[in-house]
Amino acid sequence: MNKISTRQLLFFLAAIAPVGKIILMPTNLVHYAKNDLLFPAAMNFLLQAGVIFLVLLLAKRNLSLHDLIANKLGSVAAKIILSIFSLFFFFAALLPLVEQKLFVQSVFYDTLPSIVAFSSFFIFSAYMCAKPLSSFGRTWDILAPLSIAAFAGILFLSVKSTDFGALAPAFGTGAKSVFEGFAYNMSWFLDSAILLSFLGKIDYKKGLPWKGLLCYLAGAAGVLFFLAIFYGVFQDTAVNQQFAFTKVARYFSGIETLGRIDYLFIFALALVMAFYAILPLQAGIDFLRQSFGSREKRFFPALLSVIVNAVMLGLTIFLDYQYITLNDAITVKVFWIFPVFCLLLPLLALLLLIRRRRETE
Amino acid sequence: MKQNKFIRFIKSIPTKIWVVLGAVVAIFFFLNDFDLVDIQKTAIILAAGIDRKEDGYTLTAQIAVPKGVDRTTGGTSSVNFIAEGETIADCVSDIYCKTGWVPKFVFCNLIVLGEDTVKENVFDALDFFLRNEYMSDGCYVAMSEGSAEDLLTSTSAIADTTSQAIAKLFSDANVNSGKTMKMSLREFAIGYHGVTKSGYMPFIRQHEQESSENGGGGGGQQQGGGSGQEEEKIYCAERTALFYEGRQVALLDPEETFAFSMLEGKLFNGYLLTEEKGKPVSLTVLDDKGSVSLDTKGAPKVTVKVDLTVRLYNRSIPAEMEDVARNEVTDELKENAKKYVEELTQRVFEKSRESGCDLFKLNQSLYRSSVKKYDEWKDTLLSVVPTTYEITIKTAK
Repeated sequence: MNKISTRQLLFFLAAIAPVGKIILMPTNLVHYAKNDLLFPAAMNFLLQAGVIFLVLLLAKRNLSLHDLIANKLGSVAAKIILSIFSLFFFFAALLPLVEQKLFVQSVFYDTLPSIVAFSSFFIFSAYMCAKPLSSFGRTWDILAPLSIAAFAGILFLSVKSTDFGALAPAFGTGAKSVFEGFAYNMSWFLDSAILLSFLGKIDYKKGLPWKGLLCYLAGAAGVLFFLAIFYGVFQDTAVNQQFAFTKVARYFSGIETLGRIDYLFIFALALVMAFYAILPLQAGIDFLRQSFGSREKRFFPALLSVIVNAVMLGLTIFLDYQYITLNDAITVKVFWIFPVFCLLLPLLALLLLIRRRRETE
Repeated sequence: MKQNKFIRFIKSIPTKIWVVLGAVVAIFFFLNDFDLVDIQKTAIILAAGIDRKEDGYTLTAQIAVPKGVDRTTGGTSSVNFIAEGETIADCVSDIYCKTGWVPKFVFCNLIVLGEDTVKENVFDALDFFLRNEYMSDGCYVAMSEGSAEDLLTSTSAIADTTSQAIAKLFSDANVNSGKTMKMSLREFAIGYHGVTKSGYMPFIRQHEQESSENGGGGGGQQQGGGSGQEEEKIYCAERTALFYEGRQVALLDPEETFAFSMLEGKLFNGYLLTEEKGKPVSLTVLDDKGSVSLDTKGAPKVTVKVDLTVRLYNRSIPAEMEDVARNEVTDELKENAKKYVEELTQRVFEKSRESGCDLFKLNQSLYRSSVKKYDEWKDTLLSVVPTTYEITIKTAK
């Protein structure tokens, strides 16, 4: 069966999607909203949850996004829209990939490693992106429990070092800072758009939209609790603490005696993150496959995957020392791209369903 | 059948592809050290001492080295390398340049600031450590009497390296006894960058060890170019240096450090020295509920509370066996202890007030409860806030 089951999808929403938001996003949130970091994050999560609910309603039709659009607007329009979506995904994938690279260079090495140290990641990425989505579903079965256990472990080790009072006073930074925190962190909220690439491949069961919504909100609650701990541990120095999840637990009193036991959880989460970071690439490649692939072109996704990953490898090497410029360009200068593709277009896709229903009636 | 297909497929791959693949793997292999640490090329820095000079800094790096042929004694040996530069990074590159060792701060557990360093804002020097992604900001920070170089290059009477000996001072048992306060780089930076702009760190003094001939585990250090018998030293951190805006502004003496620990509620199994009928008596503190709270309803008011549960531990005069067995704390003893604790806590609070170091984070409490009130009071809070002291001494039955 080339589909992802309801369980796998719920695992993704509750335990895989949240992990991409605990590497550099906490620092970026603090940069704008300081101790009010929970509010912009919660706003983004709530908007995403709403759109995810609507996308899961679309999943009931058991049609891919290509077929949904083609039925309504024609095949050419579907190809154009999905190609544009693919370009968006390749663009949106850049930040998570660079984020992964910086994280690996910083945490897994004790001095700055050579520029090619991260390159092997793209071999893995090229392989995974060529696989059908059902392969991802099976990995989520394994990764989700790992993610939940590791995330809980990190929260447990760090909660005692937390001064939750540091989150006060609420809205002390002002509405503008909270709004900036909301807008300039949208690039980390791709989940609803990624979900569009799952359409037609979900083994839909009754009540999936509600279950999906609740699972996503449960994951969001976990991330919000993590953000509260992150700010409570580092307070006014939080803006300097990149790769947040690798640092919050190291002040646990037992670590002096036992060593860095938090690394067990960090490595587990790093594994989950590797699979999450390649999802935008996989989604982009899948949309191109839906538009231009066919049964005869069996090697089309593999070829695309190799080309796309080679380009990404080149870009991560080219942008090796340009993270701040890249981050500024993606999260601030063109931040509006993300709400367009992750909020607005999925909503428009829902309109297709509604109008289709009316026509059927 | 399937296996045959696979073998045919493998055989169909041209040899050139295998060669290219092999070359790629070899390139990856030889471009990276795979995080293997070559001890002969690496300076594992255990502690860093920073002294300010007119045109920059002196960095004393205590570097762990293998003990060489003397493998029977175990433990860590160290050399102290003194580097100079206009920035701390410049000093670090000086180590690299003059020794060929790559300095690694992963195991750096102590940063010592010399007396000259703390006369100006110390964050110009600490900046290097806060930016260093490969070093934990959980390391201890301390100020030394005299220069950090003198402290780190001295020979410890009780441990292989001075950094080990100093780190022992910050054991939980010692900190809980109220004899010393410890401070990490993270906490110190949070205080400085927060609304209080204040912080503290232990003040380390060195004393010559009397009868140092049988100096235990000492002698592990190799002093660069030194010759003859080194004086062995012991260290104490009974004093606490107070900081405001990164500069040292006051020093708590040992009694005040003890009182500060009491107010932080950290005391457990510490000894409170008081008197009865003019003779010294030691009490054990079994429980400490110390706090400094700010009431922000109306004009701010501070309440300094100490609630101690004590037991008689030791008299300085011969006592009856009944007294030894009952360990009873008399009313006079309790009253004297109460007066003593009140006097000490007042001294600490007044020192905080006079120096401008917001030791009890009053501004932070005010900011968290009301930004408006904070804006109104932030410049005067510490100097004018009325304070009441509530001291309670209870005895363990």
